[in-house]
Amino acid sequence: MTSVKPLLIDNLNFRYHSRETLAIKNISLSVDAGQVLLIAGASGCGKTTLARCINGLIPRSYKGELTGEILLNGKDVTKLSLAQVSQIVGTVLQDPERQILGTKVANEVAFGLENLSLPREEIIERVAEALDHLKIPQLLNRETFHLSGGEKQKVALAGVLAMRPSILLLDEPLASLDPASAQDALDIIRSLADEGMTVLMVEHRVEDVLRIHPENAIFMMDGEIKYYGPTSGFDKTVDYHEVKLPAEMIIERAKVDPAPQRLTTLRKETVVGRGKQMGEPLVMFEDIAFWYEEGRPVLHNVNFTINRGDVIAVLGPNGAGKTTLVKHAIGLLKPKSGRMTIDGKDSSQTSVAQIAQTLGYVFQSPSHMLFAPTVEEELAFGPTNLKHSKEVIPQEVANALEIVNLSGHEKYPPLALSFGQQKRVSIAAILAMQSRILVMDEPTAGQDYKNYLGFMDSILQMPGFDAILFITHDIDMAVIYANRVIMVNDGTLVCDAAPPEALKKFDFLRKNRLVPTSLLKTNLDLLPKTGRFYSAEELAHVVH
Amino acid sequence: MLVAWRYKQRNSLLQSFDPRAWIIFFSCFLAGTVVFWDFRYLLFFFAIALLFVFTSRIPWKDMSRAWLFIIGFILFFSVLTFFTGRGGMELYTTEHTLTKLVATFQIFGWTPTLNITAEKTMYAVSMLIRVFSIASMTILIPYSFNPAHYGIIFRGLGLPDKVAYGMDLTMRFIPTFGRDFSLTMDAQKARGYEIEKLGGGLFAQVRKLAPLIVPVTIHAIAGSEDIIDAMDLRAFGVGPRTWLEKLTYRKRDYMLIGFGVVILLVSVALSLLGFGKFWVPAFLIG
Repeated sequence: MTSVKPLLIDNLNFRYHSRETLAIKNISLSVDAGQVLLIAGASGCGKTTLARCINGLIPRSYKGELTGEILLNGKDVTKLSLAQVSQIVGTVLQDPERQILGTKVANEVAFGLENLSLPREEIIERVAEALDHLKIPQLLNRETFHLSGGEKQKVALAGVLAMRPSILLLDEPLASLDPASAQDALDIIRSLADEGMTVLMVEHRVEDVLRIHPENAIFMMDGEIKYYGPTSGFDKTVDYHEVKLPAEMIIERAKVDPAPQRLTTLRKETVVGRGKQMGEPLVMFEDIAFWYEEGRPVLHNVNFTINRGDVIAVLGPNGAGKTTLVKHAIGLLKPKSGRMTIDGKDSSQTSVAQIAQTLGYVFQSPSHMLFAPTVEEELAFGPTNLKHSKEVIPQEVANALEIVNLSGHEKYPPLALSFGQQKRVSIAAILAMQSRILVMDEPTAGQDYKNYLGFMDSILQMPGFDAILFITHDIDMAVIYANRVIMVNDGTLVCDAAPPEALKKFDFLRKNRLVPTSLLKTNLDLLPKTGRFYSAEELAHVVH
Repeated sequence: MLVAWRYKQRNSLLQSFDPRAWIIFFSCFLAGTVVFWDFRYLLFFFAIALLFVFTSRIPWKDMSRAWLFIIGFILFFSVLTFFTGRGGMELYTTEHTLTKLVATFQIFGWTPTLNITAEKTMYAVSMLIRVFSIASMTILIPYSFNPAHYGIIFRGLGLPDKVAYGMDLTMRFIPTFGRDFSLTMDAQKARGYEIEKLGGGLFAQVRKLAPLIVPVTIHAIAGSEDIIDAMDLRAFGVGPRTWLEKLTYRKRDYMLIGFGVVILLVSVALSLLGFGKFWVPAFLIG
C-alpha cells in the first residue's frame, strides 16, 4: 500500500463568524496508522476548534472562515458527507453524560449504525462486537443513566467504535474520570492504537497521557502549534504552567525560574483560621449512619471532627459516600443514627439555612447556582435569605468581592463572566454569608492545570475561613493543598491522617481507586529532607 | 433517586399488546368517552378502564402516590363544580331541586344557600366517571411502556424519524434534567433559600423561583450544544434510519385495534342518532 496518511492537515486556519480573530492558525500535521498523537494546551488554546475541523463539525455545524486542507485517508474532509466522515473519524466528547443519547446501552451503541440505516441484524452484531472489544458485554441491557463515569465513557467509546472508524478523536477523555478509571481508559486507548487505529487525544493532563507513550505530541497556545514532534522532546519546549507535566519535568524546568510566590508569602496553615484558637472543634460527626433504604447503609460508623485550621481533602472512589458525607455536613441530609453537632448545636435541630451561616457549600459547576442579573444581587441572595440586616449586606457583598478580587464587577451579569470568574463569584457568595467553613465538591473539575492551581492558591490565601474541606479525585490536590486527608470507601472512613501518612501506602491507595502520581512519589522520596509535602514548583526551590 | 422509571415487565394484560395497538385503542377510547353524557354509557368505558387497571399487576404501593394525587384532583374539581353549580349549563335548562341547604350564618347580610338539584348531581356523577376512566387508563402508561421504546412506538405510528427520535431523547434526558434540578435545589438551599416560604402574589412567587429556574434552564441550553454535536457526529438525520427495536403486530393486536375502532364508530353513530345525551333517572325528578 502506498503511504496514504490517515490524517494530513496542511496550513489550516479557522475563524468563527462571531469572532474577530483566528481560532487556529497555520496548523500542519500528519498522523500514521497505529499512532497516538497527544494534543495538549490550556483552555482556549484552540484544541477543541482543531478537533471540530477534523471531525467535520466545522464548517457544517459551526460556521466560519476555513482555509487550508484536511485529508482523511487522502480525501478532502469538506468534500465528504457527514455520514462518510463519521465512519472515518470517531469522536468521543468530553462529557459522556451529554453525549450518551440512548436510554439503554444497546440503543446508545447502536445509534450511529441506526442512522446509517444498516440492516438490523448487522447492527446487533456490531453492537455486541464493540462491547466485547471493550470487555463490557455485561452492560448491554443496562440503563445508561445509572452507569458510573468510567462505564459511561466506555459505552460512549463503544458507540463510536461500532461505526468502525480508522481515526479516533478523543476530546479530554479523562476529565470526568476517577484516577483508576482514567488509567483503565488510557490502557484501552493504547491497545486500540496498537491494533492499528489512529488516535488523536486532546488533553491537558499530559502526565497521565505520557504513561501510554504517545508517539508524537503537539503543544498549542493561542491557536498555534508551539511544539510538534516526538514526545521525548516535549518537556523542553512546553510551558509547564499551562499543562500538567510529570513532577520531575516541572522541577527540572522550575529550578531556573524565580520561586513561586506561594512559597514566600502565606502558607495554608497560617491563613486558614488565622488569629484564633487553632484546633478548636467546629463540626463533629459522632457515629453517623445514613441510608435511603433500610439495610443498605450509604454511610455507617462515621466519626470525625473538623477543627479550626483544617484543610481537608476527601478522597475515595465514586459512589463511596463522599458526597453523602458532605451533604450531612451542610445539613441537606440528616443522619438516620448518630449525632452531628455544628458549633456545639445538634444538626437535627437546625435548618439548612441556619447551618449555612457556619458552613458554605460550593458546587462543582458555578452554573448550577448563578441566577441573578448582576453580581451584586447574586451575592446579596445568601445574606438576604439569612435575614442579615439591610444595612450590613452591601458591606458584606463589597468585602466578599474584594477578597475574590472581583471589585468593580458589581453590575456585571454573573453568567457573562469567564468560567474562572464565575467560580470566584460562587466562592464570594459563600463569603458574603459570613460562613466560616468552606465546603467544595470537586472544585477543580473541568479546569485546566493553570487555572486550577491559580484557583486553589487564591482560595487558600483568602482571609475569613476557619476551615476548608474539599472532595477531589486528584491526589495532587491533596498533596499540594491539604493538611489532612480523609479517605472514604464503602460508606465509612478508611483513613484520616496528615497527607504524608495517609498517602504513603500505594497498595492502600490502589484499593481506594487512586493512582499514585509522580508528584506524590517525588514528595515521598524527598520527605526526609523536606519534612512536608510541596507542589512541584516549590520543590524545585526547596531542595537544592 | 429523584427520577426513576416506573416501567417494569410485568406480563400484564396491557403489556401483552403491542404498544402501538394500545395507543390506537386508547385514542378510540378517549374519543368515545367524550361524546357521551349519559352516565350509563360512560359506565361501559369505566369498566374497560378498571379491567386494565386490575390486570396491570402494578403493586398498589408503586402507584399509590399517582393515584392519590389524581383522585384528590378530580374530587376537588368535581366538588367545586357541584357547589358552584357552573358547568353543564348547556346540557339542561330546567333543574329539579332535591334539597336545599341553607347556612345558619350570614356573610354581610347574605345567607349562603345551596340548591342540590337532580341535574347538578347527575352532571357531577357523569363527569366524575368520565374523568376517572380517562385518568385510570393514562396513569398506566409510564408503568407499562418501556421508556426505550417511545421512539419506535411513534415511528411505528407514522411520525417521521426525527420527531420520533425526539421522544427517545426526551426519555433519555428527563433523569439528567431531574438531577440538574436537584443539584441546583441543593446549591440554593445551602445559600439559605427556602422554597417552602414562598409568599406574595403570583408574580412575586414566580420571581422567587428564579434561583431554581434560571440555572436549570441555562444548564440545559449549554448541554444541548454537546447533545447536538454528539448527534451530528454519529450521522443523525442523514437519511432514513433503522430502528434497533422492532415491534410486530400479532393477531391480538389487530383484535384490540378492531375493538377500538368498533367502539369509536358505535359511539359516534349512537351520539349522532341522539343516544347517550345527558340523562337523569326518572325517580330523581319524581
